[in-house]
Amino acid sequence: MKYFHYIFRNVRRNPVRTLLTVSSLAITLFLTMILVSFFSINSEVTSSVRIYNRIVVLSSQGFAGRVPIARNKEIAAMDGILASTPFSWFGGKYNNETMPFAQFGIDPDTFFTIYDELIVPTDQLKEFKGDKTGCVIGKKLAEDRGLKVGDPLPLKGDIYPVDLNLTVRGIYDGPTNRDRRMCVFNWEYLDELIKNSPQSRTNGGNAGCIVAKCKSADAMVPLCHKIDAEYHSSDTPTLTQTEEAFGKMFGEMMKGLRWVITMISLVVVVALVFVAGNAMAMSLRERTTEIAVLKAIGFGNSLVLFLVLAEAMFVAGVGGGLGAFGCKLLCDTVDVARYSAGFLPFFYVSLANATMGLVLALLIGFFSGIIPAVLAAQSSVINGLRKVV
Amino acid sequence: MSHDPEFDGAPREKGSQSIVLRGVSKEYRRDEFRIPVLQSLDLSVEEGEFLALMGPSGSGKTTLLNLIAGLDRATSGDVIIHGQNLGRLPETRLTRWRADNVGFIFQLYNLIPVLTAFENVELPLLLTNLSKSRRRENVMTALRVVGLQGREHHYPRQLSGGQEQRVAIARAIVTDPYLLVADEPTGDLDRTSAGEILDLLEQLNREFRKTIVMVTHDPLAAQRAGRILHLDKGRLVDDVSQESQGRIGAAS
Repeated sequence: MKYFHYIFRNVRRNPVRTLLTVSSLAITLFLTMILVSFFSINSEVTSSVRIYNRIVVLSSQGFAGRVPIARNKEIAAMDGILASTPFSWFGGKYNNETMPFAQFGIDPDTFFTIYDELIVPTDQLKEFKGDKTGCVIGKKLAEDRGLKVGDPLPLKGDIYPVDLNLTVRGIYDGPTNRDRRMCVFNWEYLDELIKNSPQSRTNGGNAGCIVAKCKSADAMVPLCHKIDAEYHSSDTPTLTQTEEAFGKMFGEMMKGLRWVITMISLVVVVALVFVAGNAMAMSLRERTTEIAVLKAIGFGNSLVLFLVLAEAMFVAGVGGGLGAFGCKLLCDTVDVARYSAGFLPFFYVSLANATMGLVLALLIGFFSGIIPAVLAAQSSVINGLRKVV
Repeated sequence: MSHDPEFDGAPREKGSQSIVLRGVSKEYRRDEFRIPVLQSLDLSVEEGEFLALMGPSGSGKTTLLNLIAGLDRATSGDVIIHGQNLGRLPETRLTRWRADNVGFIFQLYNLIPVLTAFENVELPLLLTNLSKSRRRENVMTALRVVGLQGREHHYPRQLSGGQEQRVAIARAIVTDPYLLVADEPTGDLDRTSAGEILDLLEQLNREFRKTIVMVTHDPLAAQRAGRILHLDKGRLVDDVSQESQGRIGAAS
């Protein structure tokens, strides 16, 4: 600690250079936090749904296929199933905004039993169940759009050639790591409109997928096998998996993107090592005589190495800390997801990620400082002092 | 660690060991050329002597000073300081030895510009195990000895050249070293400031019994030393003590 003062004064020696180095690290770590958090949130949320004992029944053709609605009742009747609901993505426009938030056709009678972490007031749920054109929206969505119970929520069909004229009948809330910007409406309303539409009459009677809640965690995997076995020889075979596995399947779809982003991030980090290393080398070049004086008066090679490395890591740590924890603070205080045009239902930077960012910055500092530090430690006192002593 | 925690700036007696150089040669290599700088030099300096090294540029003054200060190693011969043969010390121990035994005074002061006078003087003490309060005590004592009490919070840029050199001297003596080496300590100062610095060096030699080896081009500065060595082309060509110089002066 007795050397901290010396290190700190050296950091402040050239404020502009230090500020630029700190800024470049802060900006890079800020952006890295956004990217890392995007993927880690996906993984975290996927893992967190394990406790809800839900399974997802898709067509064996994946998202492109459809699941006949008759399967819903058949699955609900199976031993070990508590309830099931159709789950159909609508993807309509709201006020000419394309895909402004997630919209799903569901079964009002069972949806909030299956998604029991989402809470909607009993009277509002009753209203929703009693109104086929009603919908329930998330609390965040209501806040973003200034919507309240009783307000109209027209959705213009984009994937489907039909428009939904919904009315908000309820507002649900839930844990912070759940989508609270969703709109759920009665699947039957959508199905009726599809069946009555000349362009899509034959597409009626299908759900995008079926989500069922099992009575116990142990029952999930056997039920997945049972369901798939049941419809294996039918016209519409199924692909059933736990909700966690379903989430991971989404993650797998982003695997390529994740790889590309990881590689780009690595390249940026390496470039940053060079930038910070160059700043450190310049700083030390200006201090050649000072280093020689330190060594002359008894500062050993290892101490000089430590002082230079500590200085490099201090600068990088400040930059990285500002970037990583600044990003966390921003995401904690500002609802960043609100500005993602519906792309993200929620967004946060975990403490673990921010800490990892700080550690990454310290590593950048270490690697950027190691070569200048070794050169300083090995420099000749005589050459450094030139003609002086 | 030989730093004296009881250092209070008061004069004290040291042992009678001296600087002894036996058959010291030093040569540098530049590509395929060997450049001899010092040749078979023998020298003995008594405890508490104030020695001035003079000679034309390239005569080997600074190289000799570097050898005595443990900054460089002789190509052949022995450099024995305070009973310690420096040639036998590994690099790490030589560095430690310098910290414990040598105070450096440079022509251009070489203070750390981002540190205050106090912090500059404190630097060598950071290598010791002294407590913060004891370090503070020693720094203030050193600053008092050089007459800079009250200027401890000033940065080098806020001091005159003479004051900067005083801070450098305080830094050199704060660990109470056996030996002070000075390379042109007045080379960058006006006559008045130079006189003050030489007064201070004389005081350190006389009152605190510091052995001082000073390189200088200035005959007036050299006259302050008790003994003047003249080097030319790496050899000692003259060795005059002020005492004998005084006798010669009186005879003429």
